Formats: sequence, structure tokens, C-alpha cells
Amino acid sequence: MAKRNIIEKAIDWSRRKSPWIIHFNAGACNGCDIEVVDALTPRYDVERFGMLLKGTPRHADVLVCTGAVTLQTRDRLKRIYEQMPEPKFVLAVGTCACSGGIFEDCYCVSGGMDTVVPVSAYIPGCAARPEAILDAVVKLLTSLEKSQKAIDN
Amino acid sequence: MALAIFNILVFPGFLFLSVYALALEYVDRKMYARLQNRKGPPWFQPLADFIKLLGKETIIPADVDKPVFKLLPVFTLAAVTSAFLYVPIWGTNSLFPFEGDLIVVLYLLTIPTLTFFLAGWLSNSLYGAIGSVRTVTQLFSYEVPLFMALLSPAILADTWKISGMAEFYQAHPLYILLNLPAFIVAIIAIQGKLERVPFDSPEAETEIVAGSFVEYSGRLFAIFRMAIAAELVVVASLAGAIFFPVFAANPWLGFLIYLLKTLIIVAILAVFKSIMARIRIDQMVMFCWRYLAPLAILQIIINLLLKGVLPI
Ligand code: SF4
Repeated sequence: MAKRNIIEKAIDWSRRKSPWIIHFNAGACNGCDIEVVDALTPRYDVERFGMLLKGTPRHADVLVCTGAVTLQTRDRLKRIYEQMPEPKFVLAVGTCACSGGIFEDCYCVSGGMDTVVPVSAYIPGCAARPEAILDAVVKLLTSLEKSQKAIDN
Repeated sequence: MALAIFNILVFPGFLFLSVYALALEYVDRKMYARLQNRKGPPWFQPLADFIKLLGKETIIPADVDKPVFKLLPVFTLAAVTSAFLYVPIWGTNSLFPFEGDLIVVLYLLTIPTLTFFLAGWLSNSLYGAIGSVRTVTQLFSYEVPLFMALLSPAILADTWKISGMAEFYQAHPLYILLNLPAFIVAIIAIQGKLERVPFDSPEAETEIVAGSFVEYSGRLFAIFRMAIAAELVVVASLAGAIFFPVFAANPWLGFLIYLLKTLIIVAILAVFKSIMARIRIDQMVMFCWRYLAPLAILQIIINLLLKGVLPI
């Protein structure tokens, strides 16, 4: 593998340090959404990790997605995902987003998040706690750092 | 010639402005976080955001006017940077002072607002269009009080030159207390100009996603963000030069005083940001025309009357 230059390294570093998120509800019961919003309050202070909540997919790096994907939202989810500029990551928050959860095999549900878009991290829990969400983000960033280092060596 | 190019590109021009803009953005965000009782971002956060946006994919929507869409961020940054060259930094003199530079700076600072409008309007997005209409509506309400508030000290000093005003108020330091209403009006109107809370309805992310910048991504958005951060520096320096007339003959000391002045203004703005909520656009227009504009007119009248009375 060719050695990467300092600019590429700086960009890698900045990607780890500034993950901007966008929150999308693909059919959650709203339990997980409340927990995502809770994680964004000053009490948990996600800005420590450089995270900011963005309204538009054009500015976001991480799609924080809750709920089993219903047939209604499937195309919208795909569209939001495609509107995000590369590189992008998807966090599946809650058991429903991981596997379909209690909505599995429902007539109007296509299943977990990974039946529609590629998922980078799964956060189980009904509903997932804010601490679990933060933990997942930090783990995602650490694994990113590891893979970037692996390319270097 | 070489010195002028150095001045424009490095100090106090483009490079210094960019670095200081990132630093002030950090101070602003950190103070905001501390006032909310949280730890806040690390010191390199604005830099990391900037580099990350530069390294991201830039998506240009299919049906926009591509050259204009790409040019607008650069245009904004250029306008803000040129305005900075006419603001005094280390002494009473700016880089290229001339009679009337106050007006030029104010007009150069209006250009970003107009490019925000065009950015939203041209991006062919409903949210962008709503955001840009709000930007312009807001422009009409804060611009008049802001101009009057910055021009009334000039009336007392009898010059349209920022460095002339600085010299006048340095010679008569107590006269600046007469401009207190103008300072209050200016601080409030500045928040409208910078689209900060409580006047941030043009980019209210919870209702119209990101206003004018909804379709901007990657490199273009990075330049926009940099221009907005730089605008904060320019406006803070301008208000510092006009309303805090403390200058030193020694350039190093003068530069330190300059840093202190801008930090005070940013601190005031950060406190406002954390204690206020967003107000609706019609409430904003109402507030500006009902209270700010009369206060600014009152200041002008006071200064006109005083001019005949005070020994100058
Ligand atoms: S995981 Fe539980 S709380 Fe979350 S969306 Fe599914 S059912 Fe609701």
C-alpha cells in the first residue's frame, strides 16, 4: 500500500474529529427518537466529540436512523442516504433498526436498516439508552481510526 | 507593492483573518457550551470542521446555475476580507484609510447577506427559498438601525473615516459614553446581521433545515462557513474600533488591546446566544422598527444637538 501524504492524513484526522449527524425516523415507535434527542441535550454534551446535529443531509456525515424500515419510508430513507455526500456512515439505533425487532415479519415492514442501506454500527436496546448511542459513536470513530492506521502501516 | 501584497494576503489580510476567525468561532462555541454547563468542543474543533468539509464530496444539484452556485461562497469571503482591510487593528490607522471608508465597510458587509439570498434562491430548494426571503426581510429591518448606530458616532466626530473617528474618541474618551444607546442598538443589530440567536430564523435548522445553505455541501459550504466566521471577526473589530476607543502607540500593545476588544464583543454575543430563544421573523421586524430604529434616531438627534454645544 502506498504511503499517504500529510493532506490525506489531515483529512482522515478531521473526519474522526467532526462527525455531523442527521437524525431520521424510518418507522420507530418514537421511543428511540426520544433517546436520540436526549443524547443531544447539554447533559450528554455530544459537542465534546465534535458532533453537531444538522438539518440537511447535505451537511451530515452520519445518518442516525431509528426504527424498522416501513415500506412507506423505504424509498425516502434511500433518498436521504443518497443525498449525503461521501464519505458517510449509518448508525442503526434500537433493536427495530438492527433487525426489525417487534415489527419483524409485519406485512408493512421491510426489516432492519441493513435491508435498505449499508449500516456501520448497530445499537441494540428497546429503547437504546443515550449512553449506548454515545458509546457506539465513539466506537465507530475508534474503528475508523484503526482502519486508517492499518492502511498507513 | 510587495508590502501591500503581504498585507492583503498574510497580515492583517486573508491568512490572519482566517486563523482568527477559527479562533473566535472556538471561543464563541466554548463559551456557549460553558454557559450551558457542558464541557464544549476541543480547541481544534473549528479547524477540524473546516478540513473535513474541504475533504468531503461536493454535490451540485442538477438544475442550478453551476458557475454562480460555485462563485457565491468565494464572493462572500472576498467581500468580507476586503472589508477587513479598512478596519483599524493595531493602532488608530487602518491599512488603507480614506475619507468615507466607514460607508465602504458597511456596504461590503451587506454583500454577504445578498449572496446568502442568492445562494438560497438559486439552489432551487423550497427551504432555500424560504430562508433567502427571510434573510432579505431581516436585512431590511436591522440594516437601517445598524447604519444609524454606526454613523451617529461619526456625526459627533465629524468624519466618515474610521481612523479619524478612532483618533477623535481617543482624544475625547468621555464622549464615547454619549454613544451608549448607539452601542446597544449596534450590538442587537449585529446579531441580526450575523444571523445569530435570537435572530437566526433565516437558517432556523429546526424548521427550514438550513435556510439558504440547504443545498451546499463539501468545499463550497466550507468556504461559506469560513466567510460567516470571518464576518464575525470583521463586525467585532469594527464595533471595537468605534465603541471602545482604546488604542496604543506601540503596535504590539495595540494588537493585544485589539484582541481584548474583539473577545469582549464575542463574549457579549455568546451570552445573548445562550440566554435567548429564536424569535419569529415578523416579531423581529416589529422589534427592529418599533424599538431599535427610534433609539438610533434618538441617538442621531442627541449627537447633532451635542455637536453644537460640546467643545471639540
Ligand atoms: S427499539 Fe423499541 S423503542 Fe426503539 S423503535 Fe423499536 S420498539 Fe420503539
